[in-house]
Amino acid sequence: MGALTLIVLLPLLGFLLNGLLGSRLGRTFVNVVGCGLPLVAFIVAALAVRDLAAAGYPTVIETVYTWAAFGDRSFEIAFLLDRLSAVMVLIVTGVGTLIHVYSTGYMKGDPGYARYFAYLNLFLFFMLLLVLGRSLLVLFVGWEGVGLASYLLIGFWFSDPEKSAAGKKAFITNRVGDAGFLLGMFLLWQALGTLDMDAINAAFGAGPVPGLSAALVGILLFIGATGKSAQIPLHVWLPDAMAGPTPVSALIHAATMVTAGVYLVARLSGVYLVAPEASAVVATIGVLTAFFAATIAVVQTDIKKVLAYSTVSQLGFMFLALGVGAYGAAVFHLYTHAFFKACLFLGAGSVIHALGGEQDIRRMGGLARRIPVTFATFAVSTAAIAGLPPLAGFFSKDEILWYALASESGGSVLLFGLAAFTALLTAFYMFRLLWRVFMGASRMSHEVEHHVHESPPSMAGVLVVLAVLSAVGGFFSIPHFLEPLLPLPAIVPAMEHFHVPLLVLSVALGLSGLALAAWLYAGDASRAAQLEARFAGLHRLLTGKYYVDELYEAVLGRPLEWLSRRVFLGLGDRRLLDGTLHGLAGLARRAAGGFARIQTGSLQAYLLLGLAGLVLLLTWSLRNG
Amino acid sequence: MIETALTYFFAVAAVVGGVLMLVARHPMRAALALVCSMLSLAGVYAMLGVHVIAVFQVLIYVGAVMIFMVYTIMLLDVRDPSFTRRWSGLLVPGVLGAGALSAIIAWVLRDAGDSPAAASTDVFGVQPFSVTFLEEYWLYFELSSVLLVAAVIAAIAALRAGGGRDG
Amino acid sequence: MADPQFLLAAAAVLFALGLLGVIVRRNALVMLMSMELMLNGVNLSLVTFASQAGSAEAAVLVFLVFVVAAAEIAIAIPIVLALARRRGTLDAGSWTELKG
Repeated sequence: MGALTLIVLLPLLGFLLNGLLGSRLGRTFVNVVGCGLPLVAFIVAALAVRDLAAAGYPTVIETVYTWAAFGDRSFEIAFLLDRLSAVMVLIVTGVGTLIHVYSTGYMKGDPGYARYFAYLNLFLFFMLLLVLGRSLLVLFVGWEGVGLASYLLIGFWFSDPEKSAAGKKAFITNRVGDAGFLLGMFLLWQALGTLDMDAINAAFGAGPVPGLSAALVGILLFIGATGKSAQIPLHVWLPDAMAGPTPVSALIHAATMVTAGVYLVARLSGVYLVAPEASAVVATIGVLTAFFAATIAVVQTDIKKVLAYSTVSQLGFMFLALGVGAYGAAVFHLYTHAFFKACLFLGAGSVIHALGGEQDIRRMGGLARRIPVTFATFAVSTAAIAGLPPLAGFFSKDEILWYALASESGGSVLLFGLAAFTALLTAFYMFRLLWRVFMGASRMSHEVEHHVHESPPSMAGVLVVLAVLSAVGGFFSIPHFLEPLLPLPAIVPAMEHFHVPLLVLSVALGLSGLALAAWLYAGDASRAAQLEARFAGLHRLLTGKYYVDELYEAVLGRPLEWLSRRVFLGLGDRRLLDGTLHGLAGLARRAAGGFARIQTGSLQAYLLLGLAGLVLLLTWSLRNG
Repeated sequence: MIETALTYFFAVAAVVGGVLMLVARHPMRAALALVCSMLSLAGVYAMLGVHVIAVFQVLIYVGAVMIFMVYTIMLLDVRDPSFTRRWSGLLVPGVLGAGALSAIIAWVLRDAGDSPAAASTDVFGVQPFSVTFLEEYWLYFELSSVLLVAAVIAAIAALRAGGGRDG
Repeated sequence: MADPQFLLAAAAVLFALGLLGVIVRRNALVMLMSMELMLNGVNLSLVTFASQAGSAEAAVLVFLVFVVAAAEIAIAIPIVLALARRRGTLDAGSWTELKG
């Protein structure tokens, strides 16, 4: 068994052990299996990447099994390790392991402890399948599998109908995207006869593929990506997904799973390179998502909802980078985002833990001195996401802004302007969050305040590790590392001398966001309240999240419900199916009633019938014999 | 020649016995008519040279089965309505059906060609028949004894079940 | 030697008479006798074939029919007696519990 197979199978083993035996063997067993196997997977992955580095980064392919073969075509379960999947696999196993460790503290005492770790390991298995799969089909299995794990974990506390409804919403919204993904796969299979992603890239790189429009394939696959990565118009599920346990939000709905769409587009960069139309769509959707999600995040009052919209917004940034051909920059932001967003979510989890379940930032405040470790790490990662140098977010966001402006394949002032404004908003809403939660006077109820406590070492330690990574992660230049695989786009010559001013602007945006938040929310936040009162209409629109959910309900939900109730249930089910069955049953009953009259109970009558039958039989056989 | 004539005679007598049994009002008369029919059949078998079967016909049917039947009739109440009302409601259709059946079979037999000459009747002597029976068909012999044992047990069970309660 | 077709015809008539008896007679004992008559009709055809073919097989079959007839009557008569005692009549037309 090769190293790649081992990496993938270790979490599966964890899932089986925890799922089948965990609830019987107790917490220690669950901890060792649940955290140990991902850690081993991380170590194996690190060793595999070291070997890869020593060999000068060739593309390693490990074929496990031929899934299906027909004629000269076949589906194979094969794993692929190159620079891109090396980055992804290290993020997934690394951040994954940290969050497993964090969960041992966060989920302590939950009745579903073993089940939780089983699901988490299952998620890791599918995610690794996704990032290591060579074929789109294997990727798709992982893609669906992480959707399943996400569904299970969002609805982890399934006895609450609202939470299980959130799980269903995530699952169903993802189905819409998957339809596009599947259609894209069908087209590729029909035209190329293979779903191996390296082969697809090579085929498109070699020139136009007959009978296949790269733009169409690109858009179809991007539809799949919008579902998984919560882009407009399929972004509605991610904020609701915060119903799950907070470490799940950190791992699945911030650091890893939702970036699968980014990974998919980056992995199939060969398709998008020859499809500028599709790339333009990606960039537009990305920047719009980034902007609108950021505006919503500005007014949210639930600590996890702010972070959720922030995630949507940051994913929009990544797609913007993908759309302008800066695949390396997108993966760079994915990588830094995994650290600081995981840290933020886990910090939020720590706050919620400290306050005994409180999530509303209007009832927080002044926590900085009470839970200093959480505050420090939260502050570092807030600064990182806001793009303050020299933290990780600064480098990756700066790259994205730069290529949005200057890329020769689709960069424009409009994209840059919107992205820059979004960056300002990002800084603003993140510092607003920081201020409302940790600064100022306490707005907690007396009872809650009494119980505030710093999180146990298993949680605080993880926060520190992630904060350090958020701080220094930016110094490892992913775009440069990935350049042999994912070349960066050429720069419009006229723009070249704008790079340094842009750096300055970017820092200025972050600082002005900080200043604005500090000014508005200083003291009792009366300035913010005044602003809110003056723009009441806009505020309602934003707190209502642009009423997208309501729009979907009116345009899709209601008509579908009407159709199901009236047509399918009333006409199809009641009339057609039930009617047919009842009709048949009635026919049988009436026929039986008729035949029952023959059943007189008289032996002699039966015998007479037998005699008649004998006569008829003999007559018939003589006629035809 | 006399054998052929006797065969025809016994065959006709068997049929007549059957008809009499059918129309006799009292079961005892019906039983006697059936005994006559069976004895006539034994005569037919004897005329055909199948002596073993003829002997068994007399012993088993006439000697055992019919005697049993006659005893039963004597046990029962002669005022039973079924003794006085001969026919069930199905007389006409029954007669029509049986007539049709006979007609069909007669029609088949009329069409058949000349029958081949009879083979030797040597195998039907007591000794050859017994030897054949016990050498080749011993399994059926044994199985029939099993059947008889089962019948004895069933008869006892039926008597017990029927005798216990009055409906 | 008699014409086998005549004997077969006689066998068929006996069978038909027996069947008719079972159908039209009211008395359960007479119905049983009619069944014996049907068996006898079959036996006659078997014996006729046996003597035509000169084979003992058919005769063995006849012997087995005897056994079955004896067993049948040994069970049937207790059943009829039990029914008669329960119903107070031997009228087969009054036994219609299995009416559909």
